[in-house]
Amino acid sequence: MKGTYLGEFEELILLTVAALGSEAYAVSVKEEAGNIASRKINISAVHSALYRLEDKGFLSSDFGGATQKRGGKSKRYFKVTNAGIETLKTAKEMKEQLWKNIPQLSFTRLFA
Amino acid sequence: MEAHSSPPKFGTFLLRKIYGQELFDEISGDLDELYQDRIATEGKFLAGFNYLIDAALSIRNYDLKYKNKVTQNNSTAMLKNYIKITLRTLSKNKVYSGLNIMGLALGIAACLFILQYVSYERSYDKFHENHENLYRILYKVHQNGELNIDCAAAVPRVGPFMKENMKEVVDYARAYPQSGVITYNNINFREDRIHVVDPSFLKIFTFPLVTGDVNSCLTEPNTVVISETAARKYFGEDDPIGKMISLDGEHSLGVTGVAKDVPNNSHIKFDFLISFETLNNRTRDENGNVPSETSWGWYDYNSYVLLESGANIEEYDKRFSELLVEERREDREQYNMKDEFPLQPITDIHLYSNLLQESEPEEQGDGDAVFFLTIIAFFILLIAWINYVNLSTARSIERAKEVGVRKTMGAYKKQLVYQFLAESFILNFIALILGLLIVVLGIQYFNQLTGSVLSLSFLLNGTFWLVVGAIYLVGSLFSGIYPAFILSSYKPTDVLKGKLSTNRAGNQLRRVLVIFQFASSVTLIAGTMVVYQQLDHMSSIDLGFDMTETLVIKGPQVFGADSLYQSTMQAFKNEIIKNPEIEFLTSATTVPGTEIFWTRGIRRATGGDDSRKTSYIAAVDYDYFPAYDIDIIAGRNFGRTFTTDTGSVILNKAGIKMLGFSSPEEAVDNRIYYGDRMKTIVGVVEDYNQMSVKSEVAPIMFQLVQNFTQFFTLKLKMGAYQEAFDKAETEYARFFPGNPFDYFFLDDHFNRQYNNERTFSKVFTLFAGFAIIVACLGLFGLSSFSALQRTKEIGIRKAIGANISSIIFLLSREFLLLVLIGNLIAWPVSYLVMNTWLDNFATRIDIGIPVYLLSGFAVILIAAITVGYKTLITAKTNPVRALRYE
Repeated sequence: MKGTYLGEFEELILLTVAALGSEAYAVSVKEEAGNIASRKINISAVHSALYRLEDKGFLSSDFGGATQKRGGKSKRYFKVTNAGIETLKTAKEMKEQLWKNIPQLSFTRLFA
Repeated sequence: MEAHSSPPKFGTFLLRKIYGQELFDEISGDLDELYQDRIATEGKFLAGFNYLIDAALSIRNYDLKYKNKVTQNNSTAMLKNYIKITLRTLSKNKVYSGLNIMGLALGIAACLFILQYVSYERSYDKFHENHENLYRILYKVHQNGELNIDCAAAVPRVGPFMKENMKEVVDYARAYPQSGVITYNNINFREDRIHVVDPSFLKIFTFPLVTGDVNSCLTEPNTVVISETAARKYFGEDDPIGKMISLDGEHSLGVTGVAKDVPNNSHIKFDFLISFETLNNRTRDENGNVPSETSWGWYDYNSYVLLESGANIEEYDKRFSELLVEERREDREQYNMKDEFPLQPITDIHLYSNLLQESEPEEQGDGDAVFFLTIIAFFILLIAWINYVNLSTARSIERAKEVGVRKTMGAYKKQLVYQFLAESFILNFIALILGLLIVVLGIQYFNQLTGSVLSLSFLLNGTFWLVVGAIYLVGSLFSGIYPAFILSSYKPTDVLKGKLSTNRAGNQLRRVLVIFQFASSVTLIAGTMVVYQQLDHMSSIDLGFDMTETLVIKGPQVFGADSLYQSTMQAFKNEIIKNPEIEFLTSATTVPGTEIFWTRGIRRATGGDDSRKTSYIAAVDYDYFPAYDIDIIAGRNFGRTFTTDTGSVILNKAGIKMLGFSSPEEAVDNRIYYGDRMKTIVGVVEDYNQMSVKSEVAPIMFQLVQNFTQFFTLKLKMGAYQEAFDKAETEYARFFPGNPFDYFFLDDHFNRQYNNERTFSKVFTLFAGFAIIVACLGLFGLSSFSALQRTKEIGIRKAIGANISSIIFLLSREFLLLVLIGNLIAWPVSYLVMNTWLDNFATRIDIGIPVYLLSGFAVILIAAITVGYKTLITAKTNPVRALRYE
């Protein structure tokens, strides 16, 4: 199912946008995601993911909040759409299901 | 408040390039913000560095701007505008647009038709994989420095001889044409497409087998390969392989293969291919000689060679003729002749060959005609394009205001050129679609009219679309570029002030173009008339014999016992002649309109062996000359009362002349040698046209043979066809069982020799018509436009008291003058061209002045009606309305 497929980085960004609520725009997303995942994320990667997710219909966007810091240029705020929420839920359920299916044996082997 | 410091310029530049105008703001805002944050934490230098890194990494998003919905290109908006304006202009002037498009569509359609026809004519024999290296061996014999035999079929020995002695020859194949009655299980048909061929025939040519082995199917004697059609005709659904068929009731042939039907565009056509060994067995004499392998004089064998690629033919012919000097010395000296065997590329056969014994003489095409047609196609298209140029420059004043406004709003000249070119592309496109539609709908009719076999399969042909594409592109550019530059060069101030008057240079050009159009049309019309006159001349010419009311029945070829042949034949003739409806019955080896294949050297008894010359030979009975009403100009006919007439011959005038007699009277009672037999000339007949009047009359010698026949000729009394026909058919079936009753009426048979000219004249007429219609569409558009422009002037003239006729004269004078000049140019051109064409004929007409007067008058009349119609309407308008105009 092309289009609804969610990559690992995309999922991270989508979750971050969801977590940031009404304050999600490229810079804040970059920072939050970088903190949570403790890794360095480049702003261009965030832009790429955000616009792609919007293209897929998982995000919607709006303009607002030009600041002096930005040289008077407005921000594009992102919001998770219903379709985005659904996809996140599906991804989560899928993972839970897989976790449940891992035999006990492997656990013992892994954690022994 | 913190001071806002701006990030490195190069980064910003990159971002602008990458994201485009729409996305730049928001994204560079993000990067700006990061930059400002970083200045606080990392210092200005690192922040700048990181900013640059971020900007550079953004290259991965270079395609975001295209995805973005808000993206809109200004030029596409303009393009939309151009299309809209074009369509509005089109619908605003429906008449002009209609004329323009119709003219273009007709021109394109005519051009495509002709190109299809031409490409079919040129496709002959190109389906052979080896076509570039396949050659036919011709046979040319010179006697006393004169070309005496110029024949498409060569002698049996030359093919093998070439292969033995010329290193370039890969293989050779011979095809000896036959006709005869093929029988299988009581199914009898006379078949004319039989060839006796070498096994290599199927290998060097691309005539694929459906069943059978190409290497072995024709190696054995008494084997035959048949076409799919023949297989269906004789065997239906059964497998033909291994079945026995018989030829003329005596030769049994086993079917060893089935070949795909020969394509229409092949110069040689067959339904039956008999193995060459079969013929060798038949010609082998008691000493073991096989003339069908060794003869240097029996020129009935279509011979082909496949050469290595890259062979130099001129050099090859020269080398071969040197080789022949030794090989042929004896015969050449004995008969005082020189035989040569030049090669002819097989792809030249259909269009550029018109020799004796062509495989399909009625089908031979005419390279000149094809060339003419290609030129006509080009001219028609040119006329249509000129229409476009004329109409759009004439109407340029209407568009001038638009140009002025556009320029004032800031349009560049380049943009305006694009606009008008775009219009031309749109119009040409509509015309192209219409033209294709005309071709698709009209091809059936075209085929009927011209007797050609074009199918719509060309629509799947890549080359066709390439040509269509080329016509479209060239046409749009050619017809669009001049108006585009004229229109775009107007100065906005002049235009908007209304100072602009008709452009002088444009007028001049328009005049030249109109003259050109009408010169082309007149040339075509005069050409058509000459073609018709020549055809008419050829069919009305006195052929020297009478072919009306003449039924010809092909003689029987299947015969049970040879001993009964003579008596059965005589009995049949006696039975038929009893019938009162039949005036004459004669049997002969030939009838007029049939190519004679029987030739022999003859000479005067007083001359030496080296004075021998080749003559056609025919065997006829007593009634041949009276039945055909052929005049005996000296001596007498063969007579039943002369018992010695088996040793007598009659020659035609050409024969007498060839033998060197000064007059027919002098020739009578002289002796000649026919082969090594002495004969006496008892009579001389008028040079009637054995073949069509396209060729000169050849020498023919007639000998008396009573009951050997290939053709029965029945001269019928007026209006009694049916009874005589029925009678002949029943008697024929009774006397000659197993022989199909094949007949034809002589006039049809004779006139089929003119099929090519007929087709040519029809095609010519059709396209001359196309050309004149297209030219008149243009003239109509121009004249009505000029009438419209002068509406006010006409109103004033009328108000002052001019009458209608003087106004019509005023308006049409200029156009008629142009048409007249066109005529003057066309006359010498068409005279030269048509004279060249007429030179192809042995008897030809002289082009008279009436042709030109008539074609000129016709064109002027058509032009006058075209121009007059619109001007009359304008002239009759109430002057009050005219003065209110604008």
